[in-house]
Order: sequence, then structure tokens, then C-alpha cells
Amino acid sequence: MLDKLEQIRAEGFDRISGAPDREKLEMIRKELTGKKSSLQEVLKSLGGLDPDMRKSVGMKANEVKNLFAEKIRQKEEELIAKASVVEGEIDLTLPGIEVSGGALHPITQMCYDLNDAFRSLGFEIYSEDDISSEKFAFDNLNFAADHPARASMDTYWLEGTENKSGNERLCLRPHLTGGSVRYLIEHGAPARFVYPGRVYRNETTDARHERAFFQYEALIVDRDVSFSSGRVMIETILEKVFGRKVNVRMREGFFPFTEPGYEIDMECLLCGGKGCKACNHAGWIEVMPGGVIHPNVLRAAGLDPDEWTGFYTNIGLDRLVMMRYGVDDVRLFHSADLRFLKQFK
Amino acid sequence: MNISLKLIQKYVDLPSDLTYEQIAYDLTMRTVEVEDIIRTSDKFHDIVVGEIKELRPHPNADALRICMVDVGEDDLKQIVCGGSNLTEGHKVCVSKPGAEVVWHGEGEPVLIKESKLRGEKSYGMICGATEVYLADIYPPKDEREIVDFTELGVECEVGQCVAEVAGLDDVVLEIDNKSLSNRPDLWGHYGVARELAAIYKVPLKELSDKLPEGLPAYEVQIDEPERCPRYTATLIENVYVKESPAWMKTLITNCGLRPINALVDITNYVMVAVGQPSHAFDSHHVEGNKIIVRNAKPGEKLVLLDDKELDLNEHTLMICDSVEPMGLAGIKGGKKDSILPETTSVLLEVADFTAPGIRRTEREFDEKTDSGMRYEKGVDTQRVALGVSLSIDLFREIYPECRITAFTDCYPISTEKAVIDITQEFLDRRLGEVLPQSEIEDILLRLGYEVEFDGETYHCKAPTWRSTGDVSIHDDILGDIARLIGYEYFKKQPLKVNFEHSVNQVKADLARKLREYLAFRCGFNEIFTYPWIDERFIKAAKIDLEKSVRLATPPAPELVYLRSSLIPGMLEAIDKNYRYFDEFSIFEAAQVFEKGEYSPSSEEEVLPVHRNLLAGAIAGKDAKKLFFMVKGVIEGLAGYCHCEPLDFVQKEKPSWADEKVWLNIRSGKKVIGSIGLVSVSALAESGIKMISAAAFELDTDGLTPYPSRTNEFKSLPQYPLVEQDLSLLVDEVITWEQIREAIKFMVKELRFVEEYRGKQIPAGKKSVMLSIKIGNDDSTMTSKQIDKKMAGIIKVLSKKCNAELR
Repeated sequence: MLDKLEQIRAEGFDRISGAPDREKLEMIRKELTGKKSSLQEVLKSLGGLDPDMRKSVGMKANEVKNLFAEKIRQKEEELIAKASVVEGEIDLTLPGIEVSGGALHPITQMCYDLNDAFRSLGFEIYSEDDISSEKFAFDNLNFAADHPARASMDTYWLEGTENKSGNERLCLRPHLTGGSVRYLIEHGAPARFVYPGRVYRNETTDARHERAFFQYEALIVDRDVSFSSGRVMIETILEKVFGRKVNVRMREGFFPFTEPGYEIDMECLLCGGKGCKACNHAGWIEVMPGGVIHPNVLRAAGLDPDEWTGFYTNIGLDRLVMMRYGVDDVRLFHSADLRFLKQFK
Repeated sequence: MNISLKLIQKYVDLPSDLTYEQIAYDLTMRTVEVEDIIRTSDKFHDIVVGEIKELRPHPNADALRICMVDVGEDDLKQIVCGGSNLTEGHKVCVSKPGAEVVWHGEGEPVLIKESKLRGEKSYGMICGATEVYLADIYPPKDEREIVDFTELGVECEVGQCVAEVAGLDDVVLEIDNKSLSNRPDLWGHYGVARELAAIYKVPLKELSDKLPEGLPAYEVQIDEPERCPRYTATLIENVYVKESPAWMKTLITNCGLRPINALVDITNYVMVAVGQPSHAFDSHHVEGNKIIVRNAKPGEKLVLLDDKELDLNEHTLMICDSVEPMGLAGIKGGKKDSILPETTSVLLEVADFTAPGIRRTEREFDEKTDSGMRYEKGVDTQRVALGVSLSIDLFREIYPECRITAFTDCYPISTEKAVIDITQEFLDRRLGEVLPQSEIEDILLRLGYEVEFDGETYHCKAPTWRSTGDVSIHDDILGDIARLIGYEYFKKQPLKVNFEHSVNQVKADLARKLREYLAFRCGFNEIFTYPWIDERFIKAAKIDLEKSVRLATPPAPELVYLRSSLIPGMLEAIDKNYRYFDEFSIFEAAQVFEKGEYSPSSEEEVLPVHRNLLAGAIAGKDAKKLFFMVKGVIEGLAGYCHCEPLDFVQKEKPSWADEKVWLNIRSGKKVIGSIGLVSVSALAESGIKMISAAAFELDTDGLTPYPSRTNEFKSLPQYPLVEQDLSLLVDEVITWEQIREAIKFMVKELRFVEEYRGKQIPAGKKSVMLSIKIGNDDSTMTSKQIDKKMAGIIKVLSKKCNAELR
């Protein structure tokens, strides 16, 4: 009897070891320890044995049962450790399922990056309407009465107003600067705010010129600000936008609404200032005109130029975005071509 | 504008250790933007003077000859040449191997190599003027003529670079004209030299302003002194048309102008040298020996050199003789008085015309000239004297035989020096640092200011050449000081930080949230379209053109209307993209315009009505699905963008929408926009085929943003909810809304699963599947309670919606 049990154990162990998966193992468990198993048969036959024999066979049978349980548990663990959720073969080089996501326009992305930078410096965000008047687009900004930009060659005047003047002559705004006076009329000084937006010029378009393009202008008005603060501000903003320090230089420039005016050049990011095709071998890229607010502009906003001063900075967004991504045709920005826009995540 | 450093060096001795790059850099930083540095000798490399030592016929070609040429190297070089004027012993222009010449004066430059011509070796090329960029300086008389320096009487050495011989070894700074627009004084070399003298603190040579004396007067009458404050007329006789000397032609060429003849070249030279335009009339054509500067009379005409006829008006200032107009004052002469080959005496005009009138005439007749470009910036009257003096010197040099026989200086108004006070306190405050008095005075003196300091205030008189509008307020003087010191030398001063006001702009934040919601959450791509929009798409969207604002000078005739809706732009964008994508989602946020009255900043200014719109579209195949996708986008918008909730009504069909499938979007009680399928006709008229689109458009000013995130917290259910699916059979007319309304108060949650029509469903009916969750607030539901609740729900659905279970 004991030999038979030993045989059952040995055969059982072999079968457990050979189980290929958990399903088979479960079947084997039933066969080895279930009601119809040979082990059960041995237990059932205990009654016909003499007491000594019964005791030792009973102990042995229980031992085998326990051994089976332990062996099956081990085997099961082993099978779980080796198991895969996926049956059969899988090609792991197949592409993942695409995330279906849209994107903001690359200009908007740049604009928001700048917004974040300026907001962190306590600037407000303001926006002027797209249609303005000669009064706000030119007169208030100290443009000479016969400044060429006022001509319909340069500015999109609205039909029916093109021969009027001042408040009555309306146009698609040719720049953002008119918005500065609107803001100051509304909020007064001191002020620090940015006003991004689209502006319009009657131009012949090509890869570098557009009729509708984006600017980002910032203005600070306060009692005692030195124009050198303008350069510090720009350095801070560019560092934030490009994620590293960008060298800038400030040089003489002229705009009707500033005195003095200056141009702020940014070190060419493509060549690191060594000079390349993108920067016309200058190493510098002209990105930001700016300057101290002209007293006449402050007067137009109802502020006393002896008390208040401040400075403008105007960033050409299209150019900055072209620089950021290496885009070679400014007209793509208004193309609504998704083959282009989907590249910017 | 081109600046020749050779000419600059006539006026100022620049430090000898200065590189051209440094000059360009310093001018860019302090005065005007230098766009490029051109070394005019660059293209003359390996083009040298050679002497023809021996000349013999070519054995195989009659038109060619073999020249043995000394080019300054150890041995003579054999060169085959077809030139018509080859002469033994003469010095000629030789291109050595490596030189680049323009073959017959046409096309791209070609590299010279040693070669064989008809079997004979040829080292290089003996060149004609057109081949080596010299046609303007040594004009050839015939096509086969080569440059013969000996014949031309040009002094030169064998082996010398031709650029040096022709005076073309100059360095030219190309200056961005835009950066000069406020500086009338810089439109001539003398002005730029003055800036350089100030920058490098070196002396500037004085120019003569001496006028001819003791001559008979030439009659000049100025009727419009405000427009012509000074007019000088100099009669110069015994001159004739000839070529200018090479140095003058070279200079004029380097400055970007073309040499014409000595009489005209003198006027151009004076203009580029001192910035004073002038004009030479053939004095025999000046009728009545009298100049009248007057406005044109109605009906008068002027014929220009190119035979273009101008209809003059009473605002056009003209230079006239006693009979008729001869030229547009300060801009262009007419045909009648121009210099002709037979001209023997000229009347030289050196005059001043004020800027506004010049600009007006330029605009009116679309005539931009080098002369007009200078006057339109504002030239001071004093500069006229520099022009006269230099002109007369040049005439005497180039025409030693000429006689100056009459002169008049008619000078009703002179440019006054601008008088401006600037305080030390203002300077210190705005510059951000205190500069010593001596430095301020030195800078201003170098720029031509007169300065007196009284301990507090600098009393300044600006030089006349800056007093025609350029310098008028103390800020201008501040600018001059700052730029000459150099913006880069000022200490950087960070801005003060203000902790008092939090910048809290819910409107601006909402605008950004909307875009980010659509892009990042809903998978839309943001697009930009132009505010002017092709009429075809406006008409396709059936938008009322009556209310639209129009452009006076549109980019193209079909782009005259400014958008009053973003939907036409959506149609255009769908049309552009549907060939490349099966399904895509786009949106745009922009302003639209409509006739009306709107005054954002002042009562006097009345603008058309502006609306801030947001529009989006999904294009794809399954129209019904597209509509519900768009509907889902709007349903989710308020929650994700944190504004007051939106709902839908059907009040007014948007013009672009499908007959059946549209809804209006409402915020509170107000309709702020619409969603719908784009109508069949709108798609067809836009040229969009085989694809449908659902769109939305809403006025973002109609949304009410919450001041911060306002999601409401609800406690999690303490007892489990029971989920049950119901499949109902209802009449087609029963809407989801009716089903929802009927049982919404009986359930914890209610969710639409799907709608089904098919074989198993009787006609006129549809199957609606929904999923509900029910539960008790204070205990777990027993199965008895569940059965009872479900029976109640089914009963209500049956009663209110005539629904039966499937």
C-alpha cells in the first residue's frame, strides 16, 4: 500500500511538472486530489486495513496530498510568472495608436509663451480691435500729416472713409501701437501691459512679406524708468521664451511715436552670432523696434510728459516663429493648410 | 543709400587702425543701419594692367591676333585676342587665369582659364570695358574695342590691379534708407562724415559756403516763399556735353547712380557729396531769361523726358520760365529744358524746397527721384550755399574754359536754429545715470549744437541741418546724447516689481481656455484666415453682404468684403484640406465686422461693430456623427472653460446651416451662436465634394467666465448604485429630451447609449437604449426595491412617452 502511495506521488509529481498551463494544472489537480482520484481511493480503502497499517497508510496518504498541494502551488506560481496576457505572437515594432490631438497655431503658441513670460512680470494683457481710425493709428502717435504710411498704398482704409480724416477715416490697424493710447485713456498711468494682435499692411506678398501679420507689443509707463530697463526686460523675456540666455543689443532707431527710438537685435540663434544665411551674415537679427514714448503720444493719452515716461517694445511674432522653427515662407501662417499646422504640437 | 569711404575720407581723417567692419558697426549702433559692406575691388581680382610687347597674326584665324603681354610676371604671356584696337606698346586690361569676367557684357561672370584658341595657346584674356565692369567709366566706341589705358591717357603700372587704376578700390557702405528717414542731414557724405567725426572725436573738415560775388543778377521770382525759401540761379557759359573724368564717374557709380555726362554728373556728385540736390537747365531754353517759382495754373501741363505728360494743378509747385513750366520743383525737370548734346550754357539751380509740398507732388504724380527723396526729409536753406560753392568748384575743375556770367541768390526765408532747453535733472533721470557736464557739452558740440549751461539747464541751439523738424524737443537732444554714448554702455537697470495688484483677467483667460480646450481636449487644429474673404465663400454661406464693411483698396477685387462671420473662412479652409484628410477638425478665433456704431475709446471715433467670434468645423463622411461630435464639443465647453453653462434652443436657423440639422447656442437666456451641419448648397457652392461638415460659431463675449475654477464637489455615494440598461421602443416623434425629462427625477444618473432603426423595428418606431443608475441615499437597495423602482420608471415612460420595453 505504501509503495502504491509512493508510486502515486512520483507519477503525480511528474504530471504536475509537465503541466503546460494553468488550465491543465487545474485538471491535474482534480485528477490527483479530487473525489475520483487514486489517492482518494486509497483513503476510502483505509477501513479494510489493520489499525497499524491504517495509521501509517493514512499518514502517508495525507502527506502525499499535502505534497501535491504544495507542488501544485509552486507550479502555479511558476506558470503565472511565465504567463503572458497575450496569446500567440506579437510584433512589438508595430506603431502605437496615435494620440488624436489638435494644436494651437504656432503663432498662438509663441504668443502664449510670451504672455506667460510677461504675466510673470506683472503685465496685463490687452487687446485693441482690428479696425481703428486715422486718429488712433496715426495722429495720436505723432505721425506727420503727410507720412507715407497714411497712404492707401500702405494702409487698408475702409470704403467710404478713405478720403476723410482723423476720427472719421477708418482702417484695418497698420500696427498695434494705437492700442497703447486706448489703454492709457481707459486705465491711466502707471501701467505695464502687453497687447498682441494681427496688423494689416497693403503690401505685395512673398515668402518674407505678408498683408496680415502678428505683432506683440509691450508698454511700460511710469514716473522714473530709464530706457536701459527696456533691454533688461527683453533679455528676461527672451530667456524665458527660448529657455536660455539670448544676447541682445540695443542701437539707434527711429519711429514717430518714440524719442529716442531704438532697435533691439537678437543674436542669431541659428549660428550663435557667428553669421549665417538666416541673419545675412550679420550674426544679429532685428526683431524688436522700441523706444521711449514720444511726449506727443503721452499727451494724446491725457498724460503729462513731464511726469510720465516709459518705453515700447514691439516684437514681430511671425519672424520670431519663423526663427524658432525654421519656417521659410511667412504666407504659410495664413494658409490654413493642415499639412503645415499639424507639424506644431 | 551707398556711402563711399573714399569720399568720406575727404571730409574726415578716420583713425588709421579702424577696420571697415568697426565703422559699419559703430554707425549701425549709433546712427544708421549699415546693411552691407561692399569692397568694390573684389570683382577685379586677377584683372591687371598688361603691356602688349609683341603683336602677330593668328595662323588659323584672320579676326584673331596673338599678343605677347607683360603682366608684371617673369615671362611674357601669350594671349589670343580679337580686339579691334590692339596696339603694340600699349597698356591694356588683362584678365589672368582665375579672374571672373562677363562674356560680351552679358550674363553671369565666367572663370578665366588657360586655353587654346584655334590651336594657339592663350594665357588669359585682353578685355573690353563691358567685360570687366568698366563700361560706365571707359565707354567703348565699338563692340570689339578693348580697354586701352595708353590711348585713354590713364596712368598705370604693368601688373597693377585695374580696380586701383580705375579708382574702384573703394569700400562702400550700404545704408538702409528706412533708418535715414528722420535725418535729412545724412543724405549726403558730408553729413555721415560729421557723424563719424563725432563718434571718433576727430575733426571734420570745413566746407566752403562762398557764393559768387560781383556778377550781374539773373532774374528769379519766388511766388511761394513758404514752399521755396531759397533759390539760387547761376549762369555758366562756354560748356559742352562731355564725359566726366574717371574719378567722378567711379564715385557716382559706387554711389549707385549712373554717369551720364559731365554737366549732369556734377549735379549728382554735389547731391551725394553734401546732400544738396541741384538741377542744370539748358539756359537757351529758358525763355525770357527769367525763373519763376510758382504754383501751376489749372490746365497747364508738363512733358517729361520720357514723354509722359503730367496734368498739373494749382497745388503743384513748378519751376517756370516767363512762358511755361519747365520742371516739377525739387523733383524732376521737364523735357524742354533738359541738357542736350548741343547744350553750350547751363542755368544751374541750387535751391531749397520744403518737405510737405514735395511729398504731395511726389504722391500726386507718383514721381520718386533722388532729389525728391532728399527734399522730402527737410533740407535746411543754409545747405544751398555749400551746394553752390562745390558746384562752381567742380565746373571750374572740369570745364576750365567755362565762364560764370550771372548769379542770383533769392533767399526770402532762412532755416532758424531750433532753440531747446534741457535740464540736467531730466537727463539724469531719463538716462538713468549722471553724466559730467563736459561730456554732454562735447557730444552736443560735435553734432553741431551750440550749448550754454547755467548750472541747471543746457540752453541748446540745434544746427540748422537738424532744425527742419528732426530736432524740436528736449527728448530729441536726450536721444542724441544717448545714442552717441552708445546704448550698450548704459548700466542695465531692472524694473521694479510691484506686489500690490494681482493681474486678474478672466476675459483674457477665457479666450485662452477656449482655444486650449478645442486644441488639446477636442483635437481641433487652430487656423488663421484673412479678414478679407473671397466673396464666393460669403455667398456660399448665404451671409448678408449688405451689412458687411468693405475695403477701399482690397488686395484683390474679389476680396473687398471684410468678414462678418468666420464660417466662410471655415468653408475655404475645408475646401483647401479635404483632399488631404478624411476627417479633420479646425477652429479659428477672430474679430468680425458689421456696419454699425461702436466707440471703444472716444465719442468722436465711431467704428463699425466688432464681434469676437469663435468658430469650428469638423469635416468627414458621416454627417450625423459629425453633428453630434460638434454638439459634444459645445456641451463640454462651459465645464472645461469655467464659464456659465450653455444650452441649446431652435430659434433662428443660421444662414449656412442645413434645413433640418441646426441648433442655437444659449448662455443664460441669450442666444450667442449656433451649431449645425453645413448646408448642401453651402458645400456645393464652396466646391467641397464627397464630404460633409458640421460647424459651430459663437460670440465669445456672450460667455460669462467664472472668476476661478468652479467645479462643484459632490460627496461620493455611501451606498452602491445599481446600473440598469433599458431598451425602449418608441414612436419616431418621441425625442431623447422627452424621455430624459420624463424620468430624470427618478434616477441618480441617466445616460443615452444608442438609437436603432432596422428590420426588427416596426415602421414609424425607433429603439432607444439607455442606461440608468438608481439607488437609496440611506441604504443598499434590495432586489425588491430595485424591481419596484424599475417598474415605476417603465410605467412613467409608457405613460409619458408611449414607450414599451423591447
